[in-house]
Amino acid sequence: MQVIETLSEGLKRELKVVIPAKDMEAQMNERLADAKDRVRINGFRPGKVPVAHLKKMYGKSIMAELVNEIVRERPTAILTERGEKSATQPEVSMTEDQDEAEKILSAQADFEFTLSYEVIPSFELKSVDGIKVTREVVEIAEDEVTEQIKRIAESARSYEPKKGKAAEGDRVTMDYLGKVDGVPFDGGKDEDAQLVLGSGRFIPGFEEQLVGLKAGDEKVITVTFPADYPATNLAGKEATFDITVKEVAAPGEVEINDELASKLGVESAEKLKEIVRGQIEGQYGSVTRQKLKRQILDQLDGLYQFETPSRLVDAEFDNIWRQINTDLAQSGKTFEDEDTTEEKAREEYRKLAERRVRLGLVLSEIGEKAGIEVSEDEMQRALYDQLRQFPGQEKEIIEFFRKTPGAAASLRAPIFEEKVVDHLLSQIDVTDKVVSKEELMADDEDEASETKSEKKAAPKKKAAKAEAAAEGEEAPAPKKKAAPKKKASEESAE
Amino acid sequence: MTDLRHYDVIVSPSITEKSTLVAEQNQVVFNVAKGATKPEIKAAVEALFGVKVTAVNTLLRKGKTKRFRGIAGRQRDVKKAIVTLAEGQSIDVSTGL
Repeated sequence: MQVIETLSEGLKRELKVVIPAKDMEAQMNERLADAKDRVRINGFRPGKVPVAHLKKMYGKSIMAELVNEIVRERPTAILTERGEKSATQPEVSMTEDQDEAEKILSAQADFEFTLSYEVIPSFELKSVDGIKVTREVVEIAEDEVTEQIKRIAESARSYEPKKGKAAEGDRVTMDYLGKVDGVPFDGGKDEDAQLVLGSGRFIPGFEEQLVGLKAGDEKVITVTFPADYPATNLAGKEATFDITVKEVAAPGEVEINDELASKLGVESAEKLKEIVRGQIEGQYGSVTRQKLKRQILDQLDGLYQFETPSRLVDAEFDNIWRQINTDLAQSGKTFEDEDTTEEKAREEYRKLAERRVRLGLVLSEIGEKAGIEVSEDEMQRALYDQLRQFPGQEKEIIEFFRKTPGAAASLRAPIFEEKVVDHLLSQIDVTDKVVSKEELMADDEDEASETKSEKKAAPKKKAAKAEAAAEGEEAPAPKKKAAPKKKASEESAE
Repeated sequence: MTDLRHYDVIVSPSITEKSTLVAEQNQVVFNVAKGATKPEIKAAVEALFGVKVTAVNTLLRKGKTKRFRGIAGRQRDVKKAIVTLAEGQSIDVSTGL
């Protein structure tokens, strides 16, 4: 076997591999000899088939098999020999000519193929000592916890029946029958319906007219459906409702005490506070983490500058571009609405793609050096997280992950990345800084819109922005109906 | 255009252990039509394969009686011709016509 380098330019490599016909034939004969004792051909006792005859019958197909095998296995072997890592699957091209192929198959011509690929750039891992990040921590105020609990309590509010007239905020229990032009319509009838006045759950004008009614009252009210009412047969129409009020109840006081806690399934008020505080902390924690991560990535980005394999960048760019376009299509916007042109946007996202690929390479290198691995357990957990997002489709999703080889990798990538970031966090300089809640949140928004090539922001926060959405969707997961939406995750270049 | 009758005379080459064995003596084995005569076979082989035939030996292998669901039946008879070629000539039987 002969390997000739025909192109070596930047990261691009092209190799020409020549395997002499003699070698091919020798391998074929070996296979034939091996097959001889196993084949059964009519007219011959097993094992008595002359090799010459076998060769005539199966020579071509065995040769084709050989060629396939070589094309499949050699590239990796050649690459290891050369000590290079290919960024993507190396591209193999063979002769297209039918006659030529025929000759190769009959072992008359040398088998030649070219390998083109891009190497993963080798770079020195730099010391991470220089990286300094600030962890922004939010002190959670007592007020905030109380407020949150109140909000929870609202939903669990109790009502006391009262004798008097219904007022704003009271809960009215009633039967009603709605008519348009004197004819009852579908969905316009209910019994023992409960309605909190002022909640705005019913069409405008309905609740207001109930104010002042007492238990046992009957009234006919007239309301007009709004023009944009979802049911088109009713939109904009005037309707009458025959109402029988059964009960008027006043809201009970919301108080944070053990009683409320037990209603919510918690032992004591103290415990409830603790839980709510934990939730809020968790929310801020994730934002803090996102920001930390972004700082790290930013600095890594500054630290490492090297050429990235254009094929990887292309793939990443295509991913982003597809995402952007679907997002735009969904929101019915064009690039002009985002104050940019298509070319400009393309350029921008190209840069973003390049940055992602480069950081992906750096992170995976760091991870590899540090011996970070994603365990089976963690994979399982991630899978279950995905399943939880799509209740009722568990089977399809498991099937999807089992069948699509890239899918598992797309699960692994974010976990791997998180672990690498954890690893980095333990090595670099982290200063804690107490900030207010507003600072934490506001800053996040600013940076996101400022530097468009920014990544890793809490995806929900800027979902409105098309580019932000793309940043959230980073995993190279094959797009499919059941393909789970990914949180921000770096493509790990493997 | 060779005579179409020749195609009716030669049915198929016989590729078996024994036929590959005799191939070493420059002989080729064919399954031929049951009614074919030696001169016919000679003419057919010479015309179809463009070789010189020095001798033709034939044999008639009788079909076996076989029972299928208890009913006796008989496999068909096969006539084979062992054709000796002139020195230095050969036929590649596996490639077909």
